[in-house]
Amino acid sequence: MLIKRSCDGEEDNTKAQLEKPLVRLPAVIPEEAEGVESGQISDLTLVRNAQREDVRAYDELVRRYQERIYATVYHMTSNHEDANDLVQETFIKAYRALKTFKGDSSFYTWVYRIAVNKTINFLKQRKNRLHMSLNDVDLNAENDPDLVALVSEKTPRRDLNMAELQDKLNAAMLKLSEHHRMVVTLHDIQGLSHEEIGEIMDCNIGTVRSRLFYARQQLQGYLLDYLK
Amino acid sequence: MNSDPDEFETLRKLMALKRHEQPPPEYLHQLSSRIRTRIERGEGQLNLWDRLSANFSLRPCLAYAFGLTVCGALGLSAISMVKQEMEQAADSSPGATLRGPSPAGAFASQFKPATPPLHVANWLGNTNPTAESQPELPLFGTSRAARPVLYEAGN
Repeated sequence: MLIKRSCDGEEDNTKAQLEKPLVRLPAVIPEEAEGVESGQISDLTLVRNAQREDVRAYDELVRRYQERIYATVYHMTSNHEDANDLVQETFIKAYRALKTFKGDSSFYTWVYRIAVNKTINFLKQRKNRLHMSLNDVDLNAENDPDLVALVSEKTPRRDLNMAELQDKLNAAMLKLSEHHRMVVTLHDIQGLSHEEIGEIMDCNIGTVRSRLFYARQQLQGYLLDYLK
Repeated sequence: MNSDPDEFETLRKLMALKRHEQPPPEYLHQLSSRIRTRIERGEGQLNLWDRLSANFSLRPCLAYAFGLTVCGALGLSAISMVKQEMEQAADSSPGATLRGPSPAGAFASQFKPATPPLHVANWLGNTNPTAESQPELPLFGTSRAARPVLYEAGN
């Protein structure tokens, strides 16, 4: 379901419609999760059971989506502890509100929306009191060809190491507004489509594209030294 | 806005680094059980306000509608209260038909001079402030009622 409503559209989005997504990660959105996939119980069945206060059914839903929700909140806050609190509160709030879930959208989109709203509210409240508490970069990063190329290239900062790059990248992300950061996180890091982001953030695709463009432009400005 | 798809290519490569930031290994295994524990401890219980706020956070337009309804209800009740007061004032004050209802009339009609406290009342009529305020106690502790005296002639 695509929401065509226009949200608090802050930017002109005429040209943004032409823009294409840069990153597509495979199979993130669980259209398949709504159905039954190789004997797996569908989300909808689990939701119906959880609505009858079956905590085990809800536990299964949490297990399915905790990683993605955590990643989104973590990339928004750049702080593991804050992300941990927010993810727990998101799922508890979703459990409380589960009886209001009518199934108009997928459970995944619905819980994502709760997480997004909660995170944006949190960030607005803590506007000037944010500090980074970053997770370690996993070992696979050393083998990521894109990253290897980027770090080993003769940039103005040859001594750049992975940790420093991570630090600068997160600092640049934190300079973006909450909505811009959210769009970059959902699209460029998590690989969601514009439509999915529009549904989660309750705005139209044009606004999503426009926000994405401006966010990338700002990031490029902040990270100019590392992108030459 | 952007016709060159390669414009953000290097940025895209850089963003790949974010995907490699992972929480501590056991964290996600423990997360669901923490959430379950909190729910079982009763944090998942829903009261009326929780239900409302859950709905509001999902549909902000509901929050606006709710706010408008509450404000409207408060406004209407305030107006009806003021009307009621004015009608009461008009009914109770003498010559209300001539003067018409007015807030001052309403207050005036409701005003009754309070009975002064006992000691003040005593002071008004008697210079001894304790004269009437004290109960009449019998002299020397026993009651001596007056008895009529019978006088007989010739004695």
